[in-house]
Amino acid sequence: MNRVVLAERLVPNLYRLVLEAPEVAASARAGQFVMVIPDDKGERIPVNLADWDRRRGTVDLVFLNLGLSTRKLAGLKPGQAVAGLAGPLGRAPEIPDSGAVLLVGGCYGIGGLHPLARELKQAGRKVIFLAEARDPAYIYWEEKIRKYADNFITLFRTDCLSSGQELRGRLDSVLKSHPDISLLMVMGCSYLLFKMSEAAAGPGLKTLVSLNPIMVDGTGMCGACRVSVDGRTYFACVDGPWFESRGLDWQEYFNRRRAFLSQEEQALVRLDREFWKGTE
Amino acid sequence: MNRPDRLEPGQAERLRAERDRDWRKALRRDISVQKRMAIDRQPMPEQEPWVRIKNFKEVNLGYTFDLARAEARRCLDCGQPGCVAGCPVAIDIPTFIKYIEAGEPEKALETIRRTNGLPAICGRVCPQEVQCEKECNLARAGREPVAIGHLERFVADYICLREGTGTAFHAGPGAPPRPEKIAVVGSGPGGLTAAADLARLGYRVTVFEALHLPGGVLAYGIPEFRLPREILESEINFIKTLGVEVRTNFIVGRTASLDDLRREGYAAFFLATGAGLPSFMNIPGENLLGVYSANEYLTRVNLMKGFRFPEFDTPVPGARKAAVIGGGNVAMDAVRTALRLGAGQATIYYRRSRAEMPARTEEVKHAGEEGIVFNFLTVPVRFLGNERGELRGMVLQRLALGEPDSSGRPRPVPIPGSEFEVEVDLAVVAIGQSPNPLLIRQLPDLKLGRWGNVEVNFQTMATSLPGIYAGGDVVRGGATVILAMGDGRRAARAIDEFLRTG
Repeated sequence: MNRVVLAERLVPNLYRLVLEAPEVAASARAGQFVMVIPDDKGERIPVNLADWDRRRGTVDLVFLNLGLSTRKLAGLKPGQAVAGLAGPLGRAPEIPDSGAVLLVGGCYGIGGLHPLARELKQAGRKVIFLAEARDPAYIYWEEKIRKYADNFITLFRTDCLSSGQELRGRLDSVLKSHPDISLLMVMGCSYLLFKMSEAAAGPGLKTLVSLNPIMVDGTGMCGACRVSVDGRTYFACVDGPWFESRGLDWQEYFNRRRAFLSQEEQALVRLDREFWKGTE
Repeated sequence: MNRPDRLEPGQAERLRAERDRDWRKALRRDISVQKRMAIDRQPMPEQEPWVRIKNFKEVNLGYTFDLARAEARRCLDCGQPGCVAGCPVAIDIPTFIKYIEAGEPEKALETIRRTNGLPAICGRVCPQEVQCEKECNLARAGREPVAIGHLERFVADYICLREGTGTAFHAGPGAPPRPEKIAVVGSGPGGLTAAADLARLGYRVTVFEALHLPGGVLAYGIPEFRLPREILESEINFIKTLGVEVRTNFIVGRTASLDDLRREGYAAFFLATGAGLPSFMNIPGENLLGVYSANEYLTRVNLMKGFRFPEFDTPVPGARKAAVIGGGNVAMDAVRTALRLGAGQATIYYRRSRAEMPARTEEVKHAGEEGIVFNFLTVPVRFLGNERGELRGMVLQRLALGEPDSSGRPRPVPIPGSEFEVEVDLAVVAIGQSPNPLLIRQLPDLKLGRWGNVEVNFQTMATSLPGIYAGGDVVRGGATVILAMGDGRRAARAIDEFLRTG
């Protein structure tokens, strides 16, 4: 039983769940994810680990309430339980031996990068954290992350992501003030991953992106999460979720994430209908 | 063919002793061999093809008691039964069949359960035609073999389903408890069998399952129209009544390492992690939307119950024209699933001919009745997509059969210039699986074969690491349920010896 210890809305549409999962907490490493099944009829979906507490035996999940499964998760209250939770999964990214690391997180990725900031700091690396959001109201965990980040910068969609040119400018200025940055790691929506990778390609900065394709088992058994890098196919669940963005087939990645769009919409409409029926 | 290695030590004598008991002699006297041989094989009652392609209910409805007894009478109770040696777990087949004839299905089940913890499953999914039924003396005499699989299924269903679960059936005299804890990794047929046997030997056994439901390939791979889930649950419940603990959502190698488990006091390990790494063909277009591994397609439908979407949340791809590439049981399961999910046309593309298909005869027969189209000696060379990255067709090449390859089957040789195009909007790649590397890659000293499979001594299923045993598909690649079970049995025996002698 993975009971909910704490459930909160961090900012509009982003939620945090603290769940009992002692074994997962004991083995968790920064940059990994878990598979979660919201209820008995639920899907298995991957969610990044945003934190864990080994002593209490809990894990923190931060997720965007977007589809059927995340909406179910967002509705959970303390004392209730998810139907299943398994992990930690994926390869934890290697911590570089030297240099500074630029972490760029947007949406759930701000929370998802929090353990990496901690681990990098503990390994003695300099951490520059760039939080991307629609506007200041959508930034969360700033205090938590500042504990490990030498510099905490924000980037708002209104001023940047709309134009690749401006994003490139912002990245250049960060790189200029921190010339020791040797690695860029990005977690968040596909659009942010893509745009940041594009911007970093110019300066030739090594870029790792945390991919979030559709998964079913999460243990390398089904191949739903295939991604192509330099023409070779990888399974994001076991070979990733971290991939170097150079050579990644972005078009294929965007396409494959849309595989079940119409069914996902159908399922959401159905959930809505049931919700309103319940209120009658 | 004599395969004495499949018989447990002393089993030949036990078989003979059972056969010499008075009630068996009486049954043999009752009906003459000539009369028995004149009885025709009893057909399995089935759902009509046009009905069953609209549902996911089991195709075979099972023998009635009368049909089962009629079929049991066909068994000659021979002095030299080939069937037992043909069975990978050496079930005392004549004894259980004669118990059916005598009208005592409870005793028949007790007989089967002595060597087989999963009779309702084996009766349904074993390739009997190349095992027990192949060695049946009736077949040698030019008659159809006794329907051993159908009878095994009858016995298991008759008791288990009537009692609700397997729990009502007593587990037999337990061995004195042993202090050691044993970890079984994977809850498929191999793991469950080893767990059941070790529990019977008195050990404390925990089965670790990575997914949220136990059963392994029985849960995610085999569709409900071949193996209803209540049957699987009932068999797993029976194993739990033996004292086996099943821990789901526990990924050994991730949630905890083997070393962690060793520190927690597990003294021996049986790795039965299966062949959970789907093979793809590595041809252009394989990552288009609409191209699935059989593992994904079947997991969505079976484990996640996607066929009941939107009642269950996991979506499954719809299709007008479905193509399944492969000729094994997994391919048959996938193509028949596509048909049931509403595909207007569901087609098998197999690179050899009908004779080389590894699928069970019954599955091929059922698929044919349901209107599955078979295309032999063809292989896709690339998938074609539209501008949205969705599958719209594939280019196939014709093949001819050449010299036998290392597997002994004729090697398919491409015919140059024979390419042609077909329109499809769903393609399921069912060309095989290899062992899932997740756990075994973490054991650097574990000796692996050339396909990434774990190397074992097949007498004991011992790996190159002391105290670690392995069996089933992680050793064999994509094999069968019953071979995995045989591995589990032998491993259990060897683990017991290892722990007793150190």
